[in-house]
Amino acid sequence: MSVTTTTPDRRHGFRLLALDMNEIGLIVILLLLYFGFGATTNGFLSANNHLSLLRDAASIAIAAWAVTLIIIAGEIDVSVGPMVAFTSVCLAFMLKADVNVALAILAALAIGAALGTFAGSLRAYFGVPSFVATLGLWSALRGMSFFTTNALPVTFPDNAFLDILADNMFGIPTSAIVMLVLFAIFSFVSQKTAYGRSIYAVGGNANAAELCGINVARIRVLIFTTSGVMAALAGVLLTARLGSGNAGTASGLEFDVIAAVVIGGTALSGGRGSMLGTLLGVFVITLIGNGLVLRGINPFFQEVVRGVIIVAAVLANILVMRYRERRIFGA
Amino acid sequence: MQTARKQDPQTLVAAVHGATKQYPGVLALDDVDFGIRRGEVRALLGKNGAGKSTLIRLLTGATVPDSGDVTIDGSSLTGSGTQRTVEAARLGVRAVYQELSLIVGMSIAENLFLGRWPSSMGVLSHGEMEHQARETLARLELKLDPRRRVATLSPAERQLVEIARVMIGEPKLVILDEPTSSLAAAEVELLFKAVRSLAAAGIAVIYVSHRMSEIRQIAEAATVMRDGKVAGTVELAGADTTEIIRLMLGHSEQEDRLVGEARGGDTVLSVRHLAVPPKLAGVSFDLRRGEVLGFAGLLGSGRTELLRAIGGLDAVRAGTVLLDEKDITRGSYGERVKSGIGMTPESRKEDGIMPLLGVDENTVATDFSKVAVNGVISASRMAEAAGDIIRRIGIKTARIDTPVGTLSGGNQQKVVIGRWIYAGSRILLLDEPTRGVDVEAKSQIYALIRQLAAEGKSIVFVSSEIEELPKVCDRVLVLKDGCFVQEFVAPGIETDTLMAACL
Repeated sequence: MSVTTTTPDRRHGFRLLALDMNEIGLIVILLLLYFGFGATTNGFLSANNHLSLLRDAASIAIAAWAVTLIIIAGEIDVSVGPMVAFTSVCLAFMLKADVNVALAILAALAIGAALGTFAGSLRAYFGVPSFVATLGLWSALRGMSFFTTNALPVTFPDNAFLDILADNMFGIPTSAIVMLVLFAIFSFVSQKTAYGRSIYAVGGNANAAELCGINVARIRVLIFTTSGVMAALAGVLLTARLGSGNAGTASGLEFDVIAAVVIGGTALSGGRGSMLGTLLGVFVITLIGNGLVLRGINPFFQEVVRGVIIVAAVLANILVMRYRERRIFGA
Repeated sequence: MQTARKQDPQTLVAAVHGATKQYPGVLALDDVDFGIRRGEVRALLGKNGAGKSTLIRLLTGATVPDSGDVTIDGSSLTGSGTQRTVEAARLGVRAVYQELSLIVGMSIAENLFLGRWPSSMGVLSHGEMEHQARETLARLELKLDPRRRVATLSPAERQLVEIARVMIGEPKLVILDEPTSSLAAAEVELLFKAVRSLAAAGIAVIYVSHRMSEIRQIAEAATVMRDGKVAGTVELAGADTTEIIRLMLGHSEQEDRLVGEARGGDTVLSVRHLAVPPKLAGVSFDLRRGEVLGFAGLLGSGRTELLRAIGGLDAVRAGTVLLDEKDITRGSYGERVKSGIGMTPESRKEDGIMPLLGVDENTVATDFSKVAVNGVISASRMAEAAGDIIRRIGIKTARIDTPVGTLSGGNQQKVVIGRWIYAGSRILLLDEPTRGVDVEAKSQIYALIRQLAAEGKSIVFVSSEIEELPKVCDRVLVLKDGCFVQEFVAPGIETDTLMAACL
């Protein structure tokens, strides 16, 4: 048919680097936090503290990359903390039994993958809400960790490979390097592969995605598999750092992770979000935590401050979104 | 026989005088007069866009006429916004719409008094509520336990609860909008009983439906609307269906048909005795290469169910679907998509578009692999592929990554069709592809459909706007109560005979 239309413009820029308004806002918040603490808090700007910041960021971020995908798909995963602890305990037991370290790490990752797949399958094939499926894991895994260890740390012989993971490479904590490499991979996958774009499609409108021929159930399983693997990896790094498996470790990590993702602008309703946003969200959480500790604020009161800041950041985000939506979709 | 009904103002429960309502680009109501007496059941008919909904909204106070006035039980509606709807409700106007509005987790009694639960000092008095609910249900001769949760009710029972709900307060005029469209034939009788009880209690009922057999059983007269006017009000006892159809259609000139002699090559899709209870009783048809096959039928006739069954989205009780003589009945939807079937849903917003994603991604979502190199989506390939579709079918968008949610309905629909053209599908199942799109976009979609057929694609075109089927279809099958009842072949598909077959 002969319809004449002008060719519309191409996509703007390369999406991996394109910033949107909320990311710019987060960067501003980060700079304020950074220079605020820097100017007022002794030791905040020291090299050592920077390494410590990176290490803290990594412990949240590695799990947060996968949880970002889950939330973009319109799901939720609250099992991260216990998953980290459980895989850490499993790894420690294997190392204690002199299992080869590479094999033991692979097995720990496989356990994470299997547990994630289980939760994802409950969601995808049986319609169990992901909050409930992962809440079940949250309770069962924490319990299992304490049950098998009697709440005692599981120690194992010194291991050269784990020491590398616990230490620095090129002067940077190895876990931070892992975090950044995974950031690149997750950004790429989410923006440039069919799997990644399908996640956005499912989160934006699952019915429509299904009618496009996208295998919605498979996507829903895969994101939880990925999340299980990432939590297990965080567990491996934590075990290396602590030198033992601890049932009580990573307590409350799931909420730091979800807070980082949501501060980063990923909508809990799904369909919208970015890895860069999560990266910034992770640093907001980490900077606040670190700065408050250095200032010697009462640890109980720190939790209060953190709570206020998380809600304030998300509120600001929602207001920005609302403004933008009104502009895009019309009043 | 068009009779001007005697409208003695004394007995009229509701009256509309000289009402006109102009919307941007559409004259929705044009100097409309309407009146209904106490205890009367009046059918209201008309094609999509004839003005039925606007008239109903006038009566419920949801719409304020530009000129003219609306009188309910002797007093004129004034004000606007919520104030007007509250006033209409106070005067006794109640409407039951197609979408049910019950809260399924609550009991029947709680639903009947939703938000106005009998209570003392803030504490609900369940006994009082159940007692009142029982009385209300008894007035309609409904044998339902008010303590049952709505979740446990059948669709018909839910519909009856909706009707029972309008009995709360002092209803004078009850409007039922296509109340039987989601009901099976056996359940309709229950509804009729309830409607007769309403009428016997002196309540006026406006019954919107196009099922002639039902209308004849329940209503004394029918008001037919066309192009924003009342085309006529007829006594049903003395009127035959062709007259009513003539009133609905008017003297529409045979405009621009895009199809001459019916065409079609070899059979590509063959459906035999397909049954999906309770809506599909076992239907058979063949779809040929390069053919546009229309499905006509009223709301609730099984159109959507049939498309979903062909597409493999719903489980089939019996029958077969053959694609190129290969049995695909048990195959999944995904497998059908791979073998060249594409489907566009009836509700574009709920099931069609991913509103936040761009036109480009909405288009290539049917097959990301075509724009990927070694598994990596190539921005330039995606731009090229999407740009191609955008130009080819004339999608108006500022940029190729403009969020689809911001486009007009017609352009959204083109994206939804375009993604199957991009995917290279051979068979397109289009469910109401012109719903809610403007006139220009409609004719573009018709032209697009004919063009696709000329390229050898086969198209199933489902529409509730009867008059568009003769324009584009080589063949039309009429679906009624889950069965095909008649076939029409171009040329010589006439809108009025087609409509008569549907009613």
